Amino acid sequence: MVFLQLFVNGLQLGAIYALTAVGFSLIFGSTKIFHVAHGSAFAISGYIYWWLASKLAVPWPVATLAAVVAAAVFGLFMERFIYRPIQRHEASFFTVFIAAFGVSLVIQNLIGTVAGRGMETVTTPLSRSIEIMDGLFVAPIAAISIVVAIVVFWALNYFLSRTHIGIAMRALSENPDLVRVFGLDPGRVAQWAFVIGSAVVVPGAIFTAMTAGLNPAIGTHVMLVSLAATIVGGIGSVRGAACGGLLLGLAENLAYWKLDPQWSEAVTFIVLFAFIVFRPSGFFGSPTAAK
Amino acid sequence: MVTYIISLAILIGINAILAVTLNFILGYAGIFSLAHAIFFGIGAYTAAIAAMKFGADFTVATAAGMVISGVISLALALPALRVRGEYFVAASLGLQMLAVTVFSEWKSVTGGIGGLIGIPPARLFGFDVGDPVLFLGLTLACLAVILLVMRALVRSSFGRNLKAIRDDETAASALGKNVALLKTLAVVVSSSFAAVAGSLFTFYLSFINVESFVLEVSVQIIAMVIIGGTATLLGPVIGAVIVLLLPALLTYLPYLPPTEIGSIQQMIYGLAMVLLMIFRPSGLWGYGSDQQKRGEP
Amino acid sequence: MSGEILFQADNISKTFGGLKAVNDVSFALRAGIVTTLVGPNGAGKTTLFNAMTGHLVPDQGSVTFLGKSILGLPHWKVARLGIGRTFQDLKLFSHMTVLENVTTATESGSWLWQTGGGAAKAARTERIERALDATQLQPRRDTRAVDLSYAERKFLSIARIMASGARLWLLDEPASGLDRSSYDRFLTVLRNEVTSGVTICIIEHNLDIVQSISDRIAFLDQGKLLAEGDPKTILSDPALAAIYFGERAQ
Repeated sequence: MVFLQLFVNGLQLGAIYALTAVGFSLIFGSTKIFHVAHGSAFAISGYIYWWLASKLAVPWPVATLAAVVAAAVFGLFMERFIYRPIQRHEASFFTVFIAAFGVSLVIQNLIGTVAGRGMETVTTPLSRSIEIMDGLFVAPIAAISIVVAIVVFWALNYFLSRTHIGIAMRALSENPDLVRVFGLDPGRVAQWAFVIGSAVVVPGAIFTAMTAGLNPAIGTHVMLVSLAATIVGGIGSVRGAACGGLLLGLAENLAYWKLDPQWSEAVTFIVLFAFIVFRPSGFFGSPTAAK
Repeated sequence: MVTYIISLAILIGINAILAVTLNFILGYAGIFSLAHAIFFGIGAYTAAIAAMKFGADFTVATAAGMVISGVISLALALPALRVRGEYFVAASLGLQMLAVTVFSEWKSVTGGIGGLIGIPPARLFGFDVGDPVLFLGLTLACLAVILLVMRALVRSSFGRNLKAIRDDETAASALGKNVALLKTLAVVVSSSFAAVAGSLFTFYLSFINVESFVLEVSVQIIAMVIIGGTATLLGPVIGAVIVLLLPALLTYLPYLPPTEIGSIQQMIYGLAMVLLMIFRPSGLWGYGSDQQKRGEP
Repeated sequence: MSGEILFQADNISKTFGGLKAVNDVSFALRAGIVTTLVGPNGAGKTTLFNAMTGHLVPDQGSVTFLGKSILGLPHWKVARLGIGRTFQDLKLFSHMTVLENVTTATESGSWLWQTGGGAAKAARTERIERALDATQLQPRRDTRAVDLSYAERKFLSIARIMASGARLWLLDEPASGLDRSSYDRFLTVLRNEVTSGVTICIIEHNLDIVQSISDRIAFLDQGKLLAEGDPKTILSDPALAAIYFGERAQ
């Protein structure tokens, strides 16, 4: 029964990780920018939701909308004011990485100074567990997060395969000129990638705020998981990133079966490392993507 | 006052070693590591155990730290460097997080969260170098030796190979260079020498615990390298000076709440990194992409 | 003028996501001969080079160099066997000086110093100086690659491959954009190398260069080898000219 409990918890966590990983993979896949400030989008939207819904008692749809806007604006800001100026003169991996890293540093500490360094949660009846079976406690939020994740993926899939901009985003990584053939501007498509990639983390951030809680360092943790999930799932595969996130969420929870809670981050690293050694291209990546 | 300055100088020296060794892979080979603090820690813990359990003197303790650090870096680098650079970043971040947990949980070896205390003062060839002034001399000597070794490496064919890889990996391959092996060697060299800083740190404080080897420390070392500039050997040293003097400077500003100084420090690093990357990617002391004439040291 | 077969490609194919970039190509490169690869843009010439050097692994076919299979060998091992290559975008080591660029071309060993002792070092120095002399880059020894003029950068790319001691040179549009006197000088350098035993295969668009330097021409279109033979025959074939100049709908 413990196993089943952990499995369900793992699915819930996996749903959250899958969402954030997909966001990162979408951005990296289409723009080739190693956006290590992605965790900050998570942190910002989570804290905005918490501040509005918990501290200011704003109704949750408004708070959610605000969180989405905040994440999208952050993504746009990074693309327009950080990455684009850098790409204009020296777009090496180095400069992009360090700049993104610097931003995440500033954001993390800004949040800590403004909102405090403790764990903050949003109390909601949704997080109260119900014993649905003997020894199995599931809160409504678990089911909600899994359903929302599935809906978001379905919507994203539709967007990427049926809309002009979505298809252009997939083309952007292979062949920027192809994007022009569609009558679109690669810069615009990149902006869309950042907006959508950042907005996609919001459900995960909100659910985390309601369950495990937020702290300023959550961005780093989310970043590690997104990176690991992208590699495990295969670079260039959004579907892979989702699977990778799910796998990592499950692994982290199932590890509690045998290990102490402090080892949860270790589990992420072990899974990542195993893939790097045995299957660098990940679940769905092409073998050349690993070179 | 004098003791304070000597203490600060020792800390600057230790951090300068960390910055210079990180720059070897970051600036000269283009490899990103978020785990440099871990090799610092491995050197520190190994030296502590060597001194406490085996009565080792400074040279033996340091050598032991270098070997263990090198071996563990090999375990990280061999798989992760076979593939693209982004993998190494992710793997190093993972190692940083994992190792902190190991440092905190492996009580029998690392003393757990409490750390190791009662480390005997450093002995060098039979002489006690625990005295602060002598220890400062030892630290600076180590820094000087490491700088000389780095200089020799950078000017050698190995150094050119690394710079070639940094400038264009594909062209380097096309000239017959075994890129994965070269990168791995660079990481091993960098991590082994970082362990020297760990050894100095252990004997200096007589007490170490995991708090000194967390992700924030890796970040601080990166900040030193970026701010000082990656293009020269001395850039990181200057970066270390600036970054370590920053908190002292900040305490003099009256309107800053003391509890926030750590945060503000990190925000300044972050801001510096962003602004430098946009306007002056080679740091304060390196050449900018628009100002040419300086060559490599 | 037929020397030994240095390099042999048999039925190589490479597909990218449904598109056959290289389609069942077979040809041989003989020692001491300059072969030019021509064809319209997107014909698969650079991809063919990539498949020949181990940069890409062909889906089918075999690749042999000096009689031994090199299929599946990583790029750097192929280079060490003696196949050198330049790139359309040059890929110079921009933050290193001319001298460093050429020097590092002679240093393929991975350890902290190169093996071979004094004699090997002298041999390397000799190759470096010869490369710098032949490309007339001696006066610019200490200039950083990023500060060189366009023509100088092209010559540096050749100096590197010269210093590397490769027996087979695969050059990807090495002379594009050069002014008249520079490419006369360029052709002289190449001819001298061929005389001293180097085999060259060039991807080239400029028909003047193709005519003046080629001993044999291979015509590629949409991944397929359409024709291979001596320059006069190929260049006077009207069907090939039509493809080359795009008279057929792309």
